[in-house]
Amino acid sequence: MHPQLELLLQIQDLKAQRRELSESGGGRALEEQEFNIDLDEAVTQLDARIEELKQELPPQVRSRVERFVETGGRPVVSVINGICYGCFTAVSTSSVADISRNDALNYCENCGRFLYVIPG
Amino acid sequence: MELREFFDIDAVSLDVRGETKDDILKELIALLKLDDKSEGILFKMLKRRENLGSTGIGRGIAIPHCRSLVVNKLRVAFGRRADGVEYNAIDNQPVHNFFLIVAPPLEVSNQYLPVLGKLAQFAKDPEITRRLAELNSPEEFLSLLEEKAK
Repeated sequence: MHPQLELLLQIQDLKAQRRELSESGGGRALEEQEFNIDLDEAVTQLDARIEELKQELPPQVRSRVERFVETGGRPVVSVINGICYGCFTAVSTSSVADISRNDALNYCENCGRFLYVIPG
Repeated sequence: MELREFFDIDAVSLDVRGETKDDILKELIALLKLDDKSEGILFKMLKRRENLGSTGIGRGIAIPHCRSLVVNKLRVAFGRRADGVEYNAIDNQPVHNFFLIVAPPLEVSNQYLPVLGKLAQFAKDPEITRRLAELNSPEEFLSLLEEKAK
């Protein structure tokens, strides 16, 4: 897997974890009541780690990530059966190198999100 | 929603052997049969979650969980270790039973939190620790879920 794609996946997974802990839906209550988690401390820790990982990305990749963050969107999306799960259009295979092995950093020509193919 | 429907018999092991929390997490992840890279990313995410607070909820049970893009649907696994492992659980007791739950960041069916909540309730049943210790096969584990977590 491309090392920057791996970083992007980690950032996005941490953001998903953060969202779960900060939103007032079921996840926050569950983590607090069943797992005794200190929510404020947890969110602070996650924010710090997300920022650390972002700093490991090259500036041009980081700026693309920030563009999606500003609009509340996800910068990385999965590709399932050749469909980008960010904009639900078919990914152009001719423009995407080695996409199935995740060996290159590819993005959707339609929505601009980074693409990740779930192996298997 | 029944917990039983989420467990694949191949993702149940009554003989996990890891001697540390990390070893156990890796064994549980292996039960999901992902590729090596995905396993590595998932391990990092589960460790990150454990660093926020242990998922050892007491009575010898832990429910490591996270969301990750490396899976495209909710995945669960169960592992049991006869001798408990130090897991920094809420009651400071060793953990014998491990329920792994992983879901993608966005799910159409929104099953992750209900399954997590249901497993947490299942773990509170006063009989569960004994019943899990008495299991002889993965099939018996699935039957126990059918009986107790309808």
